[in-house]
Amino acid sequence: MSAILKLDDVSVALRRGKARAMPILDHLSLEVSAGKMLALVGESGSGKTIATLATMRLLPRGAKITGRIMLGETDLLTLDEPAMRRVRGRDIGMIFQNPLSALNPTTRIGAQINEAYRTHTGHSDRAARARTLELLGEVGIPDPAARFDDYPHQFSGGMRQRVMIAMALACSPKLLIADEPTTGLDPLVAKQILALLTRLRRTHNMGVLFITHDLSVVEEYADDVHVLYAGRTVEAGTAADFFAAPRHPYSQALLGAIPRLGQARLLSIPGTLPDPEQRPSGCRFAPRCAWAEPACAESYPAPQSLGGTTAACRLIAHIPPFVASTNVAAGQGRQSHAAGTLLEVENLTVRYARTNTSLISSLFGTAPKFTALDNVSFTLGKGECLGIVGESGSGKSTLGRAILQMVGYDGRIILDGEDFTALRGAALRRLRMSVQVVFQDPRESLNPRLRIGDSVAEPLKFMGKSSAARRQAAAGLLERVGLSARLLDVYPHTISGGQAQRVAIARALAAEPRMIVLDEPTSSLDVSTQAMLLNLLKDLAKERGLSYILISHDLAAVSYMADRIAVLNGGKCLEIGPSVALLANPSHDYTKKLVDASPQLRPSTGSLQISQSIQSRQAS
Amino acid sequence: MVRLIITRLSTSIVSLIILITLVFFMVHATPGGPAYSILGVKATAKAIAAMNLKLGLAVPLPRQYAVWWWHLLQGRLGYSYQVNQPVALLIRVYMLNTLALYLSAIVLGTILSIIVGLIQGVYYDRLAGRIIGGLQLIFYALPSFFVGTILILIFAVQFRWFPTGGISDLRIENPGIFVYISHLTLPVLTVAIVSIAGLSRYFGQTVREELTKEYVRTAAAKGVAFPRILFGHVLRNALRPLVTILGLSFPYIFAGSIVVESVFSYPGLGWLLWQSALGQDYPVISAIVLLIGVLTILGNLLADIVNGLLDPRERFD
Ligand code: SF4
Repeated sequence: MSAILKLDDVSVALRRGKARAMPILDHLSLEVSAGKMLALVGESGSGKTIATLATMRLLPRGAKITGRIMLGETDLLTLDEPAMRRVRGRDIGMIFQNPLSALNPTTRIGAQINEAYRTHTGHSDRAARARTLELLGEVGIPDPAARFDDYPHQFSGGMRQRVMIAMALACSPKLLIADEPTTGLDPLVAKQILALLTRLRRTHNMGVLFITHDLSVVEEYADDVHVLYAGRTVEAGTAADFFAAPRHPYSQALLGAIPRLGQARLLSIPGTLPDPEQRPSGCRFAPRCAWAEPACAESYPAPQSLGGTTAACRLIAHIPPFVASTNVAAGQGRQSHAAGTLLEVENLTVRYARTNTSLISSLFGTAPKFTALDNVSFTLGKGECLGIVGESGSGKSTLGRAILQMVGYDGRIILDGEDFTALRGAALRRLRMSVQVVFQDPRESLNPRLRIGDSVAEPLKFMGKSSAARRQAAAGLLERVGLSARLLDVYPHTISGGQAQRVAIARALAAEPRMIVLDEPTSSLDVSTQAMLLNLLKDLAKERGLSYILISHDLAAVSYMADRIAVLNGGKCLEIGPSVALLANPSHDYTKKLVDASPQLRPSTGSLQISQSIQSRQAS
Repeated sequence: MVRLIITRLSTSIVSLIILITLVFFMVHATPGGPAYSILGVKATAKAIAAMNLKLGLAVPLPRQYAVWWWHLLQGRLGYSYQVNQPVALLIRVYMLNTLALYLSAIVLGTILSIIVGLIQGVYYDRLAGRIIGGLQLIFYALPSFFVGTILILIFAVQFRWFPTGGISDLRIENPGIFVYISHLTLPVLTVAIVSIAGLSRYFGQTVREELTKEYVRTAAAKGVAFPRILFGHVLRNALRPLVTILGLSFPYIFAGSIVVESVFSYPGLGWLLWQSALGQDYPVISAIVLLIGVLTILGNLLADIVNGLLDPRERFD
């Protein structure tokens, strides 16, 4: 087994403006072998993307890299720019998280792939075209010749990522760097991309450096795992050893934060990631670690090997390994809501006009329409959480918007006996206030020009409260969602994504709603932040008797939160039923496929149970 | 693409109808009505009634409106009160002059703005970028009459390379092309210099933003060299917003034309508008306002179509 890429004690410091260079990544050593996949795992701020950009030497001006980055026999850090350019694209291919923005929107995909090939081979356009068609076929794009002249926006998310892969493979590189290539994709599509990458690396004997923040994604596909925290390696080992018994408290916490079917409570990591300026000198995880001792903060713990993996933790020998056990039963106690029905949705149908129709046809109502939601009916109990799952285009977001009265619809939506369509004026406004919403991108849903306190207090204005009372209420709400009242006077751009999402929840609560529509509330967040938010939402529901409609493509998160699940596909509701029963015995083929694409839900891997000791330690 | 054009065209036609209606009412809303302007404040009521009859203003408003449309469709814009010539003829002569001036100024200004903006966008944090940024601020603050006067002082008075004034005296005979160009040079330079400051700054900002986009990183990761990334990928994407801005800036350019044309006593639309405004020559004023409106709508339509050519996402559903 030969190493293709070898990072040896690599450190990176970035300069921000005129300030002194800030260390971002420290002492990273790893090896990617031919035909193998190494998963480099870490949350935002861990330095994982910096590591890949350092390998490609694509860091911003003023960055300082030390150590050695060996590609075969060459140290990439010794190459000059023209030599490095020959490495990029020819020896190392790279794909990125969001293929829509990673591809040039105004250039045909065929030309973009051609370019990758021609840059390094100098072949003619015609030879490049033949190669491009071959590549498109290899990555599974149907009818390559017909799609050659299409633009990126004409492809679906998954197909776009295939185009990216074809481009990265143009010169048959020895190494492929994949930076979160499946994040944001529907689970079914993500699974296909992972399967494709696996097939390609085997047939081309190509090494893959796979960057991700979500351990569950790589569980089945990676050969090796390398976990980063705050710019340093915390644990590394083969995937088999790692998933059987992760040792480092951070690795364990990261796994415990992934929602799994029937899990009673997610493990969330208290505190937040330290800023690069303020990283602790000792173990960087110490301020958040349940096992920390005073000695941990003194010096960085030396890596120790135990049970297959190597972990940088002083107490490795004392920390019990993760206990894996199936725990489906725990979830079955829920769903005993006899409190009655809150929301009734009857024969809900939504039709949209197609975009870009001419003024004339929209004036005369002759524009073609398509049906986003087709005759959907369900009920939502008081205090119940109903999960809506489905892929993009299934109509799940439209469903949320219809309930929020943001789109026109046919059918009836009845909240606690009151029909939205029958009400007008003040009565309608009051009813609308009792349904609130939390969207996926918290920063976009917060007005950047409003202070956080004003954003939260906004709904209270309509309720006619004085400004002092509003401020006090806003402070109370912030506190309830786990934020300090100091945030009242800051603007949204200064806070993190997780904090912004808490603010959005606080704002939704301010209106004293009876139910909240959660539209992909955690999709843009790190795993541990997601865990905190889901736990918070669960507590709030219990405390205030809130009902939720949780819309998500993440079946695992839904299975953790929801009492019942409805599966949407092509605007139709395929099935609806209690979460555990539905996921354990899906009656519909489509549901089966969805469940299959979510590794956390498969009984074969078992639902990992967080070691009770961490939880009890955290509690104390 | 055809669909895009049809959509935009239908919107443009609606805007046109609204514009024409507005201009109609604008003329009728003048204090005392047009007859007053022609006959002066001392006119008797009888004289005004007679004039109204002659101008077709005595019939009910809806009928006048219909007549207004009927005449417009035939290209009849009425007679100038001041020079007693058909408005259409006046406009044609002056418009050609204006188009010659502004089209060459826009072409020159845009090309220079693209070059300056590219340099600024790439070297925004280097000395070159800072110097360009500073110059832009200075030029942006300079009013066009000032730039025009300075140019006249340097190139016409000091060096005597170009004539100081306009070609108003030449417009009847047929001036040779070189005479024409030499008269055009300084006004064109003035308009170009004044527009470059804003346009290049805007374009530089766009280039700088485009360079941080992910597709640029993708191209770099393919091993593409920087010049090719800049000209093969970034330029086209950065041009789209510039085209939109150009389309939108049509009316401002015409507003500015009043000043530049009077500095150079250049017989263009701006100059004519100014003269007509002084003489309360409503038929000419409304024709020019109408024309500027039409050109603005056309400018936007053109910008949309060019953008459709540049950006495939605009072209499809
Ligand atoms: S036990 Fe100590 S060394 Fe280990 S992770 Fe916790 S704080 Fe760090």
